[in-house]
Amino acid sequence: FALIVTPEKALADEPLCIRATGLNPFQMVTFKASLMDEKGKLFQSQAFYKADETGNVDLEQAAALGGDYVGIHPMGLFWSLKPVNSFRRLLKQDVMNSPFYIQLDLYDSFLLEDSPEVQPKASQMIERWFSVRGAFFLPPEGPFPGVIDLFGGVGGLVEFRASLLASHGFGVLALAYFAYEDLPSCLLEIDLEYFEEAANMLMHHPKSGIGVISVCKGAEIGLAMAVYLEQVTATICINGTNAFHDTQCKYRDMVINPIPHQKEYTQIHVSGAISFRHIKGDPRAEVNQQSVLRVEEAQGHILFIVGEKDECLNSKAYAEQAMEQMRRHGRSNGTLLSYPGAGHLIEPPYSPLCFASWNPFISRPLLWGGDIGCHAVAQEHSWREIQKFLRRHLTPSRSKL
Amino acid sequence: MAQIIVHPKIALIDEPLHIRVTSLLPNQMVVLQAKLTNEKGEDFYSQVFYKADESGEIDLEHAAALGGDYVGIHPMGLFWSLKPKKILTRLLKQDVINSPFLVQLSVHDSNIIFKESPGSLKASETVERWYSAPGVQRIQIREGRIRGVLFLPPGEGPFPGVIDLFGHIGGLTEFRASLLASRGFAALALAYFAYEDLPKTAEVVDIEYFEEAANFLLSHPKVLGPRIGIVSISQGAQIGLSMAVFLEQVAATVCINGFFFSVGCIKYKNENIHSLNIFPERARINDLGLLEIRSIFGSPREEANKHALLPVERAQGHILFIVGEKDYNLNSKCYAEQAMEQLRRHGKSNGTLLSYPGAGHLIEPPYSPLCLASQTPSILRPVLWGGETIPHAEAQEHSWKEILKFLRHHLSPASSSKL
Repeated sequence: FALIVTPEKALADEPLCIRATGLNPFQMVTFKASLMDEKGKLFQSQAFYKADETGNVDLEQAAALGGDYVGIHPMGLFWSLKPVNSFRRLLKQDVMNSPFYIQLDLYDSFLLEDSPEVQPKASQMIERWFSVRGAFFLPPEGPFPGVIDLFGGVGGLVEFRASLLASHGFGVLALAYFAYEDLPSCLLEIDLEYFEEAANMLMHHPKSGIGVISVCKGAEIGLAMAVYLEQVTATICINGTNAFHDTQCKYRDMVINPIPHQKEYTQIHVSGAISFRHIKGDPRAEVNQQSVLRVEEAQGHILFIVGEKDECLNSKAYAEQAMEQMRRHGRSNGTLLSYPGAGHLIEPPYSPLCFASWNPFISRPLLWGGDIGCHAVAQEHSWREIQKFLRRHLTPSRSKL
Repeated sequence: MAQIIVHPKIALIDEPLHIRVTSLLPNQMVVLQAKLTNEKGEDFYSQVFYKADESGEIDLEHAAALGGDYVGIHPMGLFWSLKPKKILTRLLKQDVINSPFLVQLSVHDSNIIFKESPGSLKASETVERWYSAPGVQRIQIREGRIRGVLFLPPGEGPFPGVIDLFGHIGGLTEFRASLLASRGFAALALAYFAYEDLPKTAEVVDIEYFEEAANFLLSHPKVLGPRIGIVSISQGAQIGLSMAVFLEQVAATVCINGFFFSVGCIKYKNENIHSLNIFPERARINDLGLLEIRSIFGSPREEANKHALLPVERAQGHILFIVGEKDYNLNSKCYAEQAMEQLRRHGKSNGTLLSYPGAGHLIEPPYSPLCLASQTPSILRPVLWGGETIPHAEAQEHSWKEILKFLRHHLSPASSSKL
């Protein structure tokens, strides 16, 4: 029999066809996926299927009976990968020179646990890349629409989303703002002039404008850029806030004080991970009004993407408040995509759900939340919407500026 | 100087404590912490944010926790929200007679939830939590085929006899039997596999072994007859109910999160009950990587599985079914409801069902920390038990009282004449 996976080398956000053929009719099989990250930590997933009358299993049509997921999920083996060490997040460091190697194994029986006596009947190694290289199709010559990519409280520089977006024809600047090289080691304040410098650097045409894609604390900054920087014509805020929390913001001679965190409302989840969902003060309270972002002044378009099971922040409430504020001022340049069951870390498609993970700044893992199946659907859908949104609002010929 | 005042400092594990903190600043925010180290040297912690009142006091009977391991007013929350530092470690006392669990209760600056900080300690007090009352005797039993440990209350007796059965964990778990003895019962913690010279697995359940144990208990000079009670959980409850079906020696059976069909073979003399259909490929791995097995059992309501059901209508004595509605290990509520229906269909009214929303599989005596999942012998992946912390804690408190009431009611001399 055979295990057929196509394509063997692809971008990490591309779906695959996975099929097994030549089995006995109605035979029970186990598909297993294993990945070792750059630090040598193992991630695994498995699912149990029954072959059809012709001895085939096609993951596009067959329903998993059990394992890490049930039902028809052609890419389930990827988004249900779980770390063997609890609370490890899967995060590609080197996005240019190497892919994630994932080994897919087919066993001809129900196999819940690895055993040295049982070997897979067929295996296939596949490559998942975060950038376009070699024989892949390269987009035509630039200039490409410019996008700034901002991550959140993890700090440092996270490159994988920027490199994937670039593979789809955007010129993307993954921008660090703390805990990186000579930048401050922790986020003491948000100086919008720093981000304006980055925006100006990306602009190749005074009329084209740039985009911002941002998540978590990055989305707080992204929304501020949308409000204060006219260079920004398209902003995507994933699971962010509509006000400044905990960190002061300044721009030229303006200083905005943040809503303080109330750490006593931290909750410890049954797994021991911490949820910060309740520590942010309410942006609707009278006393907090001066910290709320004046979203009605944003010139460009804003796409809010929220996971309704976000355990890090109450992202849906913040996005709804921002949308409401825009409507109250007669603005219609905002869109909200709200995903039931999705958690905080909404990433490109087929990324495994990271439910909680270690963070360099505190001694316990942080809870992100999300229901695995719904989260996978949200990642697939939102990634398409993100690219559509950026193309619609950044193509120079369609610029409204 | 801040002070932490706890009463009583020495108590049984199922007794509540009164915890107060005094001499803080008015409205001062602090973290209260409980720390326990088990017999293997593994640490368990709970940490909760409280705010002192205007007089600088916190009384856990009245003060609401703001955050941390629980929120709201929960006087014993520091105990049932204890979490292992090494995740998925179950808290299980091995030596139940000679030593207590020592729990250190302390008051800290509020940053310790985020960063370990030895300088933050303001006050502390250590309490002893015992699994047996003074004077409880522990007697190793090796009579005939029977293997286990008998716990006797202090005094002359005689005492109502109870057999205590645990599940798939195998070996011998003693803590509940020692507590039952501390509450006035002669309790036999009975092993049935993976212990001493007993079989390695519980595929075949021979009720004659358990009958031997029941007769042994009834023949003991300190045990009050003419019948015994059973407290049982999980597969132990399958056995407990089987004993009630086949043995007239059983007056009262407590079945906690059990299943009432055969998954291997249950036999008594010339009666055999064969297995339900099982589908191991339906095992699920949840979002946290924990193993959920409840879907592997075929439906006991299907015609094809009817042969596997215990004839519960033949059960002697009274049965108390206790189920957690968030049991992810077994569909306990469905199984208990089906057993209750079966009793009703046969005109029997000797069953009672207590169903606890939010409680998981491992319903234990009060103030035991919720164990969401843990390693079990013979399965590599940790098994998910389920349960939501606060409802599970409430279920443990309520059900323990009901269990003691139920046993006293049906095993006391006055009630034996009802049967």
